Amino acid sequence: MVKRSKKAKTMRKLIKAIWIFNWFNSCGFAELVPLVGSRWDMERFGMIIVGTPRHADVLFIAGYQTLKSIKRAKRVYEQMAEPKVIIALGSCTMTGGMYWDSYNTIKRLDDYLPVTMYIPGCPPRPEAVFEACEKIFQHVKELE
Amino acid sequence: MIKKETELLDEIKSKYKLEGKIQKERRICISITKNNLIAILKELKNLGFIHLSSISVTDWLDEGNYEITYHLWSYDDKILFTVKTKISRDKPEIQSVTPIWEENAQIHERELHELFGVNFKNNTDLSPLFLEDWDGPPPFRKDFNWREYVKENYYDINNKRETVYYD
Repeated sequence: MVKRSKKAKTMRKLIKAIWIFNWFNSCGFAELVPLVGSRWDMERFGMIIVGTPRHADVLFIAGYQTLKSIKRAKRVYEQMAEPKVIIALGSCTMTGGMYWDSYNTIKRLDDYLPVTMYIPGCPPRPEAVFEACEKIFQHVKELE
Repeated sequence: MIKKETELLDEIKSKYKLEGKIQKERRICISITKNNLIAILKELKNLGFIHLSSISVTDWLDEGNYEITYHLWSYDDKILFTVKTKISRDKPEIQSVTPIWEENAQIHERELHELFGVNFKNNTDLSPLFLEDWDGPPPFRKDFNWREYVKENYYDINNKRETVYYD
């Protein structure tokens, strides 16, 4: 049997079932509803949307964040239990997207929160979201 | 067809000095001075215009004026009544209509206060709605160059990825 570090053991628990808390502004969730629906159905992979950040492993942030909502996003992130992962969806979180010249939206999410992974797209395809999660699985499995 | 509209307009015109016209069926538009504002709006509310659909501000930069527009709706007559008034752009101050429409007007006035800097007198709560930590000028003023503001506050000219914004 392989001897694993403490971190690897904890992380393995995380990937058994990814529990997700959504922090979606604007069109973010509207575009990702198919993830929950029957065609892509993320529950097949043990991914489920939970009602509170305290239960969540992964925080999905999508859509542009305003200066007001980013403060709330920080509080949501702080409430999550370790180990925690942030996945940022869509071009808005990377560069501001189509709001690149807006006075009230933040431009780079990683200035405010430790983003683990960005998924590009406007909006990202559901397959891209799965691929991102697959990458987390791989990464965890490679940990020793 | 526009009998009711004519009646209403004549009634208001007989009491106050103002310009007004019937734009078309079920649409009346009047321009008033800001001193008459409260009196006229009270009068209109008694005439059945109980719904304040919205308050809006137009920034006339060349004239140096803000034009404040009140959209009123009457459920009985099915008429949209537009009341326009102009105030100075440099010192935008106007009486609040919260004594007449209360909460209904409150949210509009708060928004216009943060976006245009209009000071609504007698409004008890003009705290910011969306722009919590805003320290710049009111962003919807036409002389506010938000692209410059964004470059200064959000982008970094030394960041390779963002030099494209400075071309």
